[in-house]
Formats: sequence, structure tokens, C-alpha cells
Amino acid sequence: MFEKLEKILTPIANALAKNKILVAIRDGFMITVPVTIIASLFLLFSNFPIQNWSEIIGTVFGAGWEVHFGRVTAVGFNAIALLAAIGIGYSYAREEKIDNKIAAALVAVVSFLIIAPQTHELFVNEAGRSFRGFAFSNLGTAGMFLSMITAILAVKIFGFVIKKKLVIKLPDGVPPMVMDSFASLIPAGITIFVFFIVNIIFSNTDYKYAHNFIYQVLQAPLVGLGTSDLFEVTYQFLSTLFWFFGINGPAVTNTIFGPIHKALTLENYEAAQAGLKMTNIFTSGFSDFFCNFGGGGSTLGLVIMMSTIAKSSRMKTLGRLSLPAGIFGINEPIIFGLPVVLNPIMAVPFLLAPVANTVLATIATKIGILPIIGGVQLPWTTPIGFSGFLITGGLTAVAFQFFLLFVNMAIYYPFFRILDNKYLEEEKINLNVKDEIDDLSFDDLSLD
Amino acid sequence: MKVLVVFDQGLSGLGGVGNLNLPLTIQKGSIGTGMLLTPHFAKVNAQIIATIACGINVFSENEDEVVKKIALMVKKVNPDFVLAGPSFNFKEYSKLCAKLVFKLKEEGFTNACAMMSKENQEIIEEYSSKIDIIKMPKKGETGLNDSFADLCRYIDATKEADKLLAIRKEICYS
Repeated sequence: MFEKLEKILTPIANALAKNKILVAIRDGFMITVPVTIIASLFLLFSNFPIQNWSEIIGTVFGAGWEVHFGRVTAVGFNAIALLAAIGIGYSYAREEKIDNKIAAALVAVVSFLIIAPQTHELFVNEAGRSFRGFAFSNLGTAGMFLSMITAILAVKIFGFVIKKKLVIKLPDGVPPMVMDSFASLIPAGITIFVFFIVNIIFSNTDYKYAHNFIYQVLQAPLVGLGTSDLFEVTYQFLSTLFWFFGINGPAVTNTIFGPIHKALTLENYEAAQAGLKMTNIFTSGFSDFFCNFGGGGSTLGLVIMMSTIAKSSRMKTLGRLSLPAGIFGINEPIIFGLPVVLNPIMAVPFLLAPVANTVLATIATKIGILPIIGGVQLPWTTPIGFSGFLITGGLTAVAFQFFLLFVNMAIYYPFFRILDNKYLEEEKINLNVKDEIDDLSFDDLSLD
Repeated sequence: MKVLVVFDQGLSGLGGVGNLNLPLTIQKGSIGTGMLLTPHFAKVNAQIIATIACGINVFSENEDEVVKKIALMVKKVNPDFVLAGPSFNFKEYSKLCAKLVFKLKEEGFTNACAMMSKENQEIIEEYSSKIDIIKMPKKGETGLNDSFADLCRYIDATKEADKLLAIRKEICYS
């Protein structure tokens, strides 16, 4: 059965994880992650879950101190589409093997700004002039899908012109920086011209801007999928299923689910900033800190049992050595060391634990035990307990995380016992059946 | 066919990143990733009789001595075949595998191969003309099971020179 399933999954994984466009989008968002995490820390500090926090800090920095923190958060969150255009442009240039990747990224972001709304008729000053400039509302979540499409198209055109050798070549001896700059001139010019035309086309439609068109036709329906109850559970199940076959699950699934998670998270942030109710359950924080503990397959519970109640020395040793990494969400030592990958004994709990977590955490959110998670994004390595407190601001979420950990242990337990007994049996046989290998030791070897 | 496998601390299940200083160790039978190989090996009547494991820091601190010691241990175990790997895209472990198989070949033990992913470009360039290195995916990439099947075809073909020559062209780096 496993072989048949692998034959189905492998081409899907290849199609997604080796698709240049999807890889560029995934990696491009990855480039923005440090900025969003830092912005989240500023957001977290200005809304730290302690009573009277604002007043306490205000005694040092003065009232209204949050405004300064908000500036950093705004750049990380409200300008995410702009940042993504740079990241995706750069990553796609790498995939297309364009030498001057930073020039390609620059062209991507310029193209995005060309088609972004630059005048806002609804915002008029006292003199009756409307606001001219780029608005957060277009550079943030609402512009995300447009930035993805623009960055890919811009770099595609940029690369195409370079491949057609429509570049200015300067004589040898000219400094490389100058050479590169002039080589990009025609490709950048043609790309910008294309987007100049695209903007004119849209301005003659009811949509007025490409932003409105992409948001209504593509982004809203796709992000709408993320509000389905099955969205997160499908993501978690597929990610784990790929891992079971030794394929990096999130690297495959994030090509599709990653941008939707990001949009759902930022929508909650924008709703909170606007004083509205947050409605999206399946944010990055929910996915990272309530569906998996200890890495893919939610193996932290397994590792804890291995290090404490395993009888075979193989499991106990591996458990103890793997526990520190497991607390930080890394399970590499057991993936191939136990092993978990392609191990039929471990298939059921490995696939079931993240699904159970997701279902339970979703129900808990729906009935109000867990709050809806806002825009804060923490490193996925943040340990259980800390992550629950920081991301929700309450101890209920911490307690719920440990409840889920307990559920995971219960799911893994019968299968853990089967494997532990198997290894114990092997260890006993190895002890009882003596042969020449038992007498061999590297301590006795002499190189002389 | 009696097979001896050489793993790092991660693949042996003796610790991963938590135990980079694992001393050179030999254990009877199959451990860690050996469990994944066992059902494949059974198809070609091969069996892992012993596993040598080495912490990658131990290797890096004294590469030549570690390789000599493992080669000496291979002589004592006297297996029919030595598999150094699968070392995925793990650079230091791949280096250990390539150096070991080369050392064994120098000493006249030719039924051995390494197995690593194409990301180990420098090692492959240096050793692929001297030893057999079977292609495999990097960690997390598709095709792991297929590469294990290739490995078994290779092991099975060591019994016939002509067959081995053809398979080598197909599944090894050249």
C-alpha cells in the first residue's frame, strides 16, 4: 500500500516542490520572515499580556509610547506585499539563473509600485487635494497576491530580454558594477513599459487598478478557502504524509498553503488594528503552535516517552539525546534515527497526532476555550508553553498545549510500545547469541 | 550476503545533532536507518550483520585515522559488502563515506560503495572516477525509496561483473 501511495505522492511533490514559480513564491516569503518576526516582537511588546502594561511602560517612556513601536510593526505587516515583491523577485531570478538577482528584485518591486494606486480620491485635504502616495491598504495583505504575480511576471520579462541578448555591452575594463547596471537598462526598461501598459489597460476597466482585479478574482476566493474547517487539517495531514515518505512536507505544501496562511494572519492583524473582530482561525501562529509539537508528526510526546519510560536502551538513548532539540521543534534525530520515515509501525500515530491536535484546537477556538490568534508571528522553534503564552497572552492556551501534548502521548503510546518491545527483543537476542562481532571493539584496534 | 553499513551519529539513531562526538562504535545487526534498508536488502538476500557509527566531529578531528580504523574493522568483520551511507547531502558524513570506500579499494576490498546526493559536488568530483557513488536524493527530496532499490540492484550485481558495469553507468555518478 505504501508503495502505491508513494507512487501517487512523488509526482505531486515533484510538481510542487520543483516548480520554479511556486518555489520562488515560497522562498520569497521566507525572505520576509525575519522582518515579520521582528515586527511581531514590537507588536508583542506594545501589547504585552500583563495588566496595566501600557501604563507601567508609560511611566518610563511617557504616554503614547506604543506609537513608536507601531511604526516598526506597520512596516513589517502593512508593507508585506512590497517586501514580498523584493523577496519573490530575487528568488525567481535565482530559479531562472539570472546573474544580477538584485536588479531583478528591484524591477519586480518597481513594477508592483507602477500598477499600485498612487492617488486616493476618497482622502482629500482641506485644500481639496486628494492624497497622492502609496497606501498601506495596497501594500499590505490586500496587495499580497498581486505582488506575487507581478514579481514573477516582471522577472520573467526581465530574464527573457536578457536571454534575447537585448543588453548594452560596455567595453572590457569598465568596472563590473557599471557593466551590470548598463546591462540591466534595456531589460528593466522593457519590463517597466509592460507594466505601464498593464496599468493603462486596468484604468480603462471597472476595476480601475490591477489591485482590485486580482483581489476580487483571485485573492479573496483563495483566502476564502482558508476559512474552511478542512483547510488546516488538510495542510497538516498532507505535510505529515509527505514527511512519512522522507519528503520535506512543509516545503511542498507551503508552496500552496503558505501565502494563504500569511494572508489569514495579516487579515487578523489588520482587523485588530482597525478595532474589528478577528475572524480567521488558521493563522501561522495557530498552525505552528497548536498543531505540531516537536517537529513534523508532533513527535515531542513520543520523544518524552522514549527518554523516560522506554525499556530498550536504543530508544532510551535516542530519546534523551533528541529531547533538547525536540523542545525547540526539531525532530531530525528521530526522523531517520528511530526511524520514523517509512516505518510502518509509526505511520498511524505520525499521521494522526497533528490531525488530532488541529481538530481539537479548532474546536477549542470555536467554543471559545482558545482565543483567535492575532498577527503575532514567532519563530517556529519557540518551545511549547512559551509559544502559547506569547501568542495568545493567556495561560489557558498554555494549559491547552500541554493537554494536546498529553493527547499526542496517548496516540503514540501503543505504537511506541510495539517498537520499544521489538528493539528490546533484538537487544536480548544480540546479548544471548554470541558471535565474533561481539568481541570486536574499536578500543582494541591498533594502527601500528 | 553479509553487509556492513557505516552511519554517522544521526542515521545510526545514536543521537543526531545532540551527539556529534559519538566515538567510533560497532554494533551487531541493523540499527537506526538500517531498519529502512532491511526490507529492501531482503529482496536481494542481503542482511546487515553489523553497523559502524561515528560522530562527525570525531571524523573531522582526525579524518585519516578514523578511516584507517574503520578499514581495519572491516577486515576483522569480513563482510561480503560494505555500504558507506546513505549520506544524503550531509557534507562531512559524505566525505567520510567517499574516503572510506577509496581506502578499502586501495587495500583490495572492492565490494563497497558510497551513496550520497548531488549536493556533495566537490566530493563527487574528487571521488566518482575512483569509486562507485550511488545517486540518491538530498534529505527531504523525493526518490529515497527508488534510490534504495537502486542500491539493492547494485549489491545484487556485484556477483556478476558485466551486470555491475551496466548498472554502474545507470545509477552511479560518473
